[in-house]
Amino acid sequence: MTSTTDKAGQPKSETPEWEIKAAKQSRLAFGLAVAELARRDEKVAAISADTIDLFGLRPFLEASPERLIEAGIAEQNAMGIAAGMATTGMRPIICGYAPFITTRSLEQLRNDVAYANQRVVIGAACGGIVLAMAGGTHHAVEDLAIMRNMPNMTVIVPADARQTWHAAMATEQLDGPCYIRLGGKFDEPDVTELDADFRIGRADQLRNGDDITVIACGALVAPAVATSQALAHDGIGVRVLNMHTIKPLDRDAVLAAAVETGAIVTAEEHRVTGGLGGAVAELLATEQPTPMRMIGMPDEFAIVGPTAQVREHYAMGEGAITDACRDLMR
Amino acid sequence: MSSNYQAKIDGLENVARHIRRNVWRALHGAGSGHMGGSSSAADILAALYFHHLNLRPDDPDWSDRDRFVLSKGHANAALGATLAQAGYIDDSVLDQFYAYQSSFGMHPDIKMAGVEMSTGGLGHGLSVGIGMALGARMQAKDFRTCVMIGDGELQEGSNWEGAMAAAHLGLSNLTVILDYNKIQQSGHVGQMLDLEPVLDKWAAFGWAVREIDGHNMSAVVEALDALPFAAAAPSLIIAHTIKGKGVSFAEDSFLWHNNAVTDEVYEQALSELGEPS
Ligand SMILES: [Mg+2]
Repeated sequence: MTSTTDKAGQPKSETPEWEIKAAKQSRLAFGLAVAELARRDEKVAAISADTIDLFGLRPFLEASPERLIEAGIAEQNAMGIAAGMATTGMRPIICGYAPFITTRSLEQLRNDVAYANQRVVIGAACGGIVLAMAGGTHHAVEDLAIMRNMPNMTVIVPADARQTWHAAMATEQLDGPCYIRLGGKFDEPDVTELDADFRIGRADQLRNGDDITVIACGALVAPAVATSQALAHDGIGVRVLNMHTIKPLDRDAVLAAAVETGAIVTAEEHRVTGGLGGAVAELLATEQPTPMRMIGMPDEFAIVGPTAQVREHYAMGEGAITDACRDLMR
Repeated sequence: MSSNYQAKIDGLENVARHIRRNVWRALHGAGSGHMGGSSSAADILAALYFHHLNLRPDDPDWSDRDRFVLSKGHANAALGATLAQAGYIDDSVLDQFYAYQSSFGMHPDIKMAGVEMSTGGLGHGLSVGIGMALGARMQAKDFRTCVMIGDGELQEGSNWEGAMAAAHLGLSNLTVILDYNKIQQSGHVGQMLDLEPVLDKWAAFGWAVREIDGHNMSAVVEALDALPFAAAAPSLIIAHTIKGKGVSFAEDSFLWHNNAVTDEVYEQALSELGEPS
């Protein structure tokens, strides 16, 4: 490719902006980024676990068949392959289903990838209850807790397809493993701008406010913004932090929010134990004890149903976030 | 058989004797350890590191080096002894087995010079080796990858995912050596969860397979020299070995898979292994 760079000195993207904007689904934006990363760096290769179309990788497969390894429905082997490949200087990107690429291959992920500290990027589609209708076997509402407990691991939950593109591109700079949780086969609302500055480990403050802060990630960012907009009419200033990086947590942003707003609501499509809420609570308990409410799944396996209804069933949405804010403000 | 060849075999047998003695030395220092599977692997490790593998111990990260993964990570005493013998690590490290803040624990650590992957959880090495072999292919490099797996380890299903994939991918630059000492932690493999007919299984998966006596140095060398066994398939060497090889009371006994090493045991082991030249 040509050596053109953008104004930040980064290689210029060959992926048209309209294509990223049109993606609308984080799994597809991630697939576009995989192809772009592979164009930039001949060491980048994709590993599929029968997930080529889930990630929109068929054009990449046709253009660069030697750069896509199909591991089949065999996540343990896929994860071990990625680790071994990384030791040779390659930059493997595993494309898997969140419920399977985490727990089915967990020992390979822990030992071969995290313990050996290899540069493996794990794209995990259908995180949370994206596949709510599929039943508990296909839900991933403990993945963040698991990944957050892996030393060396970076854990990212992009808020939308655009941010997914930036997050995937940012993994170029990482020296260790990274887990990126993605959505499924329905459009995700845009909550970030395509030209927004993205940095791993730095929260985006999407809404200003000094009365209370909502710290959200992934699918719960858009409802958090909606809460802030609604409560603004009542004169309540709700700060919204898009905490796209669960690990390393943006401690400064959390502590500033605690000091400046005095109350925190966390919101995630995950069990309330061990994920974003857990990370925030652990920090605040030791550094800046602050009243909190945590929006997320309880300690149970989710019911079956359409994702939107199951989200409502477990109060993972604007209404619950708003209620939690009002409750804390009383 | 030329005298040069015989001298080579004698030299490798002497290396294996050094490795076995140093295994017992490391275990004696630690108080206990996995002598059984370390001793069964010693002849093969000697042939790999002092005959077969293309390595630069003074430049352990040389990008074109051949890769060796000890999937049966509990034989790390033997790997450490081999790496010390080859000059990757200082001989004094062997006296730090299990020690506080040591780089030389029960299982291999990728941070130690010459160790290609942290192993110990069983059934991981083959997949990692496939990744290394693919890394060579994708970067148009000639290095070869060799993975040693244990027999009990083959009970882990991940191996069979890897066996299927390596053959499907036609990885002739990948070799697996099965250290078939017939014993695992709690008993005989054949009685606990039998692998047989293990050759037929791997052949059916698409591997080119040879069986050897893993303690006959000429046989080990000849098998390694014949790699790859097929132009477009991965190779498997089934090495029939004896757990605890070289020390009578430890041989062929699951009690010595992992056991305590007292001063008396250590002296007896060294006297049976004999002085290396
Ligand atoms: Mg055995």
